[in-house]
Amino acid sequence: MLEAKNVVKTFDAFRALDGATMTVPKGAVYGLVGPNGAGKSTIIRHLTGVYRPDSGELLLDGKPVWENPAVKRRMAVIGDDWYYFPQASISEMARFYEGMYPTFSAERYEKMKAVFPLNERQPIRRMSKGMQKQAAFWLTMSCMPEVLVLDEPVDGLDPVMRRQVWSLLLDDVAARGTTVLVSSHNLRELEDVCDHVGIMSKGRILLERTLSELQDNTVKLQVVFPGAVPELPAELKILHHSNVGRVHTYIVRGSSEEILRRMQITNPVLLEAIPLTLEEIFIYEMGGEDYAVRDIVL
Amino acid sequence: MIHLDYRDARPIYEQVKDGLRRLMVTGVLQSGDRLPSVRQLATELTVNPNTIARAYSELESEGFVCTVGGKGTFVADGQSQNDGRKRELTERLRPVVQELRELGMTQEEWMSLWEGGEGHA
Repeated sequence: MLEAKNVVKTFDAFRALDGATMTVPKGAVYGLVGPNGAGKSTIIRHLTGVYRPDSGELLLDGKPVWENPAVKRRMAVIGDDWYYFPQASISEMARFYEGMYPTFSAERYEKMKAVFPLNERQPIRRMSKGMQKQAAFWLTMSCMPEVLVLDEPVDGLDPVMRRQVWSLLLDDVAARGTTVLVSSHNLRELEDVCDHVGIMSKGRILLERTLSELQDNTVKLQVVFPGAVPELPAELKILHHSNVGRVHTYIVRGSSEEILRRMQITNPVLLEAIPLTLEEIFIYEMGGEDYAVRDIVL
Repeated sequence: MIHLDYRDARPIYEQVKDGLRRLMVTGVLQSGDRLPSVRQLATELTVNPNTIARAYSELESEGFVCTVGGKGTFVADGQSQNDGRKRELTERLRPVVQELRELGMTQEEWMSLWEGGEGHA
């Protein structure tokens, strides 16, 4: 279990983290999402022991991460700025990783050769951005970490390689119970692979749920009423309402059967419950935080 | 084997369920056949193993598959599959019946629909 407890970090006068608290349970694939500048990379750098918090705690299974090699050797990281030695090739970096991670598996390293179309003797600095990402995955996955922390991991990978990489990761999750923390802006992709989601905004975790909780507990209703908009049942927790002509769209918290049953009282002409996508959940939750697409015409 | 449509609004686990059910109904998967393991299917479809596990456990409670501890998940025999399917279709029919009744459909009209007729006067 990877935890951040009430972490505060300021850079000069800017509070990058403002009491961030999150929990990544063991074996979870946790997707961290949030607008640009919300503090995703900053919290990741704290959880991996790169930054030291001003206050608060960062723990892996109850043990502090900061300057703790025993904890750090259990987790592997691919940051948005993956580090490699300036002249090193993949095979040379593999030797470095082998020295750092007691769990490094040479057998797995050899196996994954078939997956990545890379020349392991070529200096990494001469590879393209996407190829460097592949190299990072190859080496990191070879370490067989218990916890894998990925910041924008598939950024720069082509569609085939994205799937390939996710498939390898999920196989690891199913087989070994690897815990994965991943930040991304590709919500469509996260929806497939994650089972936990944390939404971050302005240095805090706004909401943290399992994906099935999120999807089962929020429903988008499309309703057409026979006449004027009637009084809606008071028990409904309506998060958002908009309408285009006579079609009213409500975002309601609760299970869809329950909501549909209650809405029958209003005798709607049309009543439809549509499950929300992660993207919609994100937009509605962030809308409450005053972060939404503005209608500006240039 | 199963096709996930990324523009489909239904949650992934339901798409997986529907996909497997279709395979069983069309006879691609026959009773007694072993389903791919959670791990296999998760890797193949690139979705979270828990999503697959959820689809499997719901299919099991609906009577489509049964899990043998340590051996895997198997397609259930035809009878319990049909029972599950019947239950599900009945649930889906309920709101339609309700609406037809509100529209003033009589029992005779209903019976004529049942016997393959027009269903309305």
